[in-house]
Amino acid sequence: MTPRYSAPRDLVGVTAALADGDGVVVGGGTMVVPDMTHGRTRAAALVDLSRAGLAGVTAGADGVVVGAMTTYTDLVEAGVPLLSSVATGITGGPQIRNRGTAGGSACYANPASDVPACLVALDARMRLASAGGKREVPAAGFFLGGFRTARRPDEVLAEVVLPQLGNALLGYVKFKLAESSWPIVTAATVAVPGTALRVVVGGAAAVPVVVAVDRPSAGSGDPAWRDHVREAVHTALDAAEPWSDVLAPAAYRRRIAPAIAARSAAHALEEDR
Amino acid sequence: MAAPTQPDSAIGGSARKRDGAALLTGRAVFVDDHQPTGMLHAQVVRSTVAHGRILSVDTAAAEAAPGVRLVLTGRRAAESAGPVPYFIDPAARGGNRTDIRCLQVDEVVYVGQPVAAVVAETRRQALDAAALVAVEYEVLPHVLDAEEAMLPDAPRLYPEWPGNVVMHNRYGTGDTDAALAAADVVVSGELRIGRSTTSPIEPRGYLASWNAAEGKLTVHASCQNPHQMRWMLATSLGLDEGDIRIVTAKVGGSFGLKMQGHPEETLVALLSILTGAPVKWIEDRRETLMAGARQQVHRFTVGAMADGRIVALVDDIVADVGALTAQAGWAMPNMSATTLPSGYLVPDCRIGLDIVVTNKPPVNAARGFGKDAAHFVMERAVDIVAHELGLDPAEVRRRNFIPADRFPHRTSTGLNIDSGDFVGLLDKVLDEVGYAGIRARQGGLRHRGRYLGVGLGFELTPESSDSPGTFVSGFDTTTVRMSVTGMVTVLTGVTSPGGGNDTGIAQIVATELGVPMEWVELVQGDTDRCPNGFGNFSGRSMVVGGGSATLAARDVRDKLALLGSRMLDVPVDRVEVADGVVRVVDDHSRALAVPDVARALLTRAFAVADGIEPVLESTRAYKPGNIDHVPDEFGRIQPYPTYSSSLHAAVVDVDVETGKVVLLDYVMAHDCGTMINPALVEGQARGAVAMGLGSALSEQLVFGEDGTLLSDRFKTYLLPRAGDVPELRMVHQVTPSPFTMHGNKGAGEAGVGGAQAAVANAVEDALAALGVRVRGVPLTPPAVLALIDEAAAR
Repeated sequence: MTPRYSAPRDLVGVTAALADGDGVVVGGGTMVVPDMTHGRTRAAALVDLSRAGLAGVTAGADGVVVGAMTTYTDLVEAGVPLLSSVATGITGGPQIRNRGTAGGSACYANPASDVPACLVALDARMRLASAGGKREVPAAGFFLGGFRTARRPDEVLAEVVLPQLGNALLGYVKFKLAESSWPIVTAATVAVPGTALRVVVGGAAAVPVVVAVDRPSAGSGDPAWRDHVREAVHTALDAAEPWSDVLAPAAYRRRIAPAIAARSAAHALEEDR
Repeated sequence: MAAPTQPDSAIGGSARKRDGAALLTGRAVFVDDHQPTGMLHAQVVRSTVAHGRILSVDTAAAEAAPGVRLVLTGRRAAESAGPVPYFIDPAARGGNRTDIRCLQVDEVVYVGQPVAAVVAETRRQALDAAALVAVEYEVLPHVLDAEEAMLPDAPRLYPEWPGNVVMHNRYGTGDTDAALAAADVVVSGELRIGRSTTSPIEPRGYLASWNAAEGKLTVHASCQNPHQMRWMLATSLGLDEGDIRIVTAKVGGSFGLKMQGHPEETLVALLSILTGAPVKWIEDRRETLMAGARQQVHRFTVGAMADGRIVALVDDIVADVGALTAQAGWAMPNMSATTLPSGYLVPDCRIGLDIVVTNKPPVNAARGFGKDAAHFVMERAVDIVAHELGLDPAEVRRRNFIPADRFPHRTSTGLNIDSGDFVGLLDKVLDEVGYAGIRARQGGLRHRGRYLGVGLGFELTPESSDSPGTFVSGFDTTTVRMSVTGMVTVLTGVTSPGGGNDTGIAQIVATELGVPMEWVELVQGDTDRCPNGFGNFSGRSMVVGGGSATLAARDVRDKLALLGSRMLDVPVDRVEVADGVVRVVDDHSRALAVPDVARALLTRAFAVADGIEPVLESTRAYKPGNIDHVPDEFGRIQPYPTYSSSLHAAVVDVDVETGKVVLLDYVMAHDCGTMINPALVEGQARGAVAMGLGSALSEQLVFGEDGTLLSDRFKTYLLPRAGDVPELRMVHQVTPSPFTMHGNKGAGEAGVGGAQAAVANAVEDALAALGVRVRGVPLTPPAVLALIDEAAAR
């Protein structure tokens, strides 16, 4: 069965095409197209965002607005905090970076991916649009589970708003089994001066997990601080739905998450020097 | 190595691959590039259960789907095609067998087994229609683990067998019990080698074209063994061999997977016969990844003296070969057992082997052919002995290697190693990797929380095998033909999977004939054009393809020299053929162009060439020495003419918080005797090492409890990428074989087991302070972390 295909010229056209609720949104196509090729996704209708004018990064009063069709390459070129460094490490090389979008990755919501935890760490706001209107959902409430988000089938993610970070320091560490592997555990750290570290762990649970971590008083190698991080991460993970895939079981993800969180914190704090 | 003045085209020169430009510019023609008029596309409907009885196959919906020309069930296929003949029949070796069908009729024994096929006008239509074929199964209990499959109450794959064991064999000679009792130390261990696969860039594929008017079948195939495939199709389809032509011209990697014997070979030919149209089937990556390459469990005991000398080896092997296949893969574990004592003087060996079937897709032939497992196990055993005795692993190897002056040497398991210098390889690799320096740095790094390890892996690679009564042949045949213009066509029975033996054979022919390499055209992989041959496997192509090409080229050269000497009016022993001319040895100004001599022979046969048989063509077979099929007093035969050897050193850094192993350096000291083309040897060796590194660290075929393959794409089956592999450094040693034409030994397989062993030993070395004992491969980060936790809990 060949799906209906449309490539609307603006957001109104996109939301109209999605109104029936049976459409599959295609951003860069790096997830949906292989899924269709292999029969994992069977769509009645495809709504292609490539002509809808949703690409681009703009600085607004309330933060940086990232259009849903902004590619990883665009993010690197615009120097968007945290997301630009994440984008340089996206597996798949230039072909994927030139097509893949952070917005698409957020909507795909693979727990074993870079973007979800980063958006939560950045306190991003997800702007969703439908024929009935627009709404804004905080990233922390957008990810509901593995491959599940708050986006309704008749909605499209139009923009992601990233609040101003002030003079916060950022760190990001991704752990993979090998170069071709999906991320197993990621950790993004936001260090706002004078406050505890905000570390968001990805991949270790079905959704990103927020962990408040004290700043290390004797360096990130201090065993006492490491114990504190382990306890904080494990307490946060205990409250979350575990995640497993073919590459790594939940127990392994949980086991290494504190080390990845600590490295991410160290990465953020080292930018100080 | 080539002297600086020699051209790259000489034997020993690194001539560039002849098809390199065509490959790089996309002009090479592979099976999927053939698009004959009226071609249809096939799709295979595969079992969704690991073990079951087929109750019904409903084809109505598929037959009514757009573009569908044929839906074939197993029952209907069995009316037109017999069983697929075995490459190596287990019954011929005293084992259990079963009929292998192109489509299953009554029972299925693994998820993915072919049960029906759909032919449609487009690949998409065939794919969609295949999803509409409804197969109803009575699900039967299944078993995925070989040791469970050996239990008395385990589900049986083949009810007519007494159990799930294809065959049980014993290998080795001597009194191991007495030797172990007399040993100063006895160490034991269990090692598990996970299921990995070969992953050629081009998957398997076949294009069959049945010409009903002439009753002739042409098959373009991505296959290593065109002549064997012709015989197989003649047998399974009841056709005359002479009515079948197999063409395998360009193949995008094989690694053993594309040895003949797969059900789809007969199937696609049958689909073409039944539809009367060309039918193409190209495997999907998910299907390629079903094929296993190896999976074994070893329980070994080794006895050694206080000075490190190993005196006895006992090993019990359980080899999981998945479901039985007509392909050669099921037979690989025999070589795991036979190769086990490797290049060491181990006088007493007792090895037991059970080859066991399970409800998984078959293990197919794969680079290493079971020998890789022997290297992994033996090299682990040597390291454990070293650890037990407090000796350096390099020193224990040195004390156990067969000395260079003791060849030919017959091992306890019966292999007659032709030649080698294993201590020489050890010295080279230790020097190149900077072994002493690494040992000196390790302690200091450990204080700073870094776990650096170095590991060694020796590999003895028996090559160019011959198995009596099978199509595993230790000889091959080549025709060298010179035309009236002096151009040379070489038609050979060996085929190239992409490794470049066509270039190597052209170098040999050009050198032997004394003509420029550009004059030489190679024809391979066409049963209508090439002499009867056996394709490529077992590192045979340059040994027997190169050997037979040499003999044939010398015949043609002799003819040119004879006529040339007559035309130059000098005795024949005063002429040579070189650089495209026949010339007087001590007076190069007196020379005739080879094309002029060729034309004289073929156009003046009753004049200047009178009395010389006017044919510039020779077909010769070459049989290397050192193969002996007369069983000795212990019943051992000697199927390999040459034994390449290599010593591998891996340097790793292990992240003890995550279990991740990072490769810092890798050196392979390699000895395959004379190298016809060192660049091509290195290309093959690097590929084999990368395959070994992948199976040592990241590659793993994972099955769900229901027998479904879960790692069915390259995001879940993790091949090494450039960033995972350091520069693979090569050092060469040349110990010519006394038993082959040019002193060359097999090249292309060596690397898999040596890489696995070197990495495993390096990881254990890195984590020695934590008491970690490696128990298998792959050493994925979760597996390494589990070993660290296990050691901490002890």
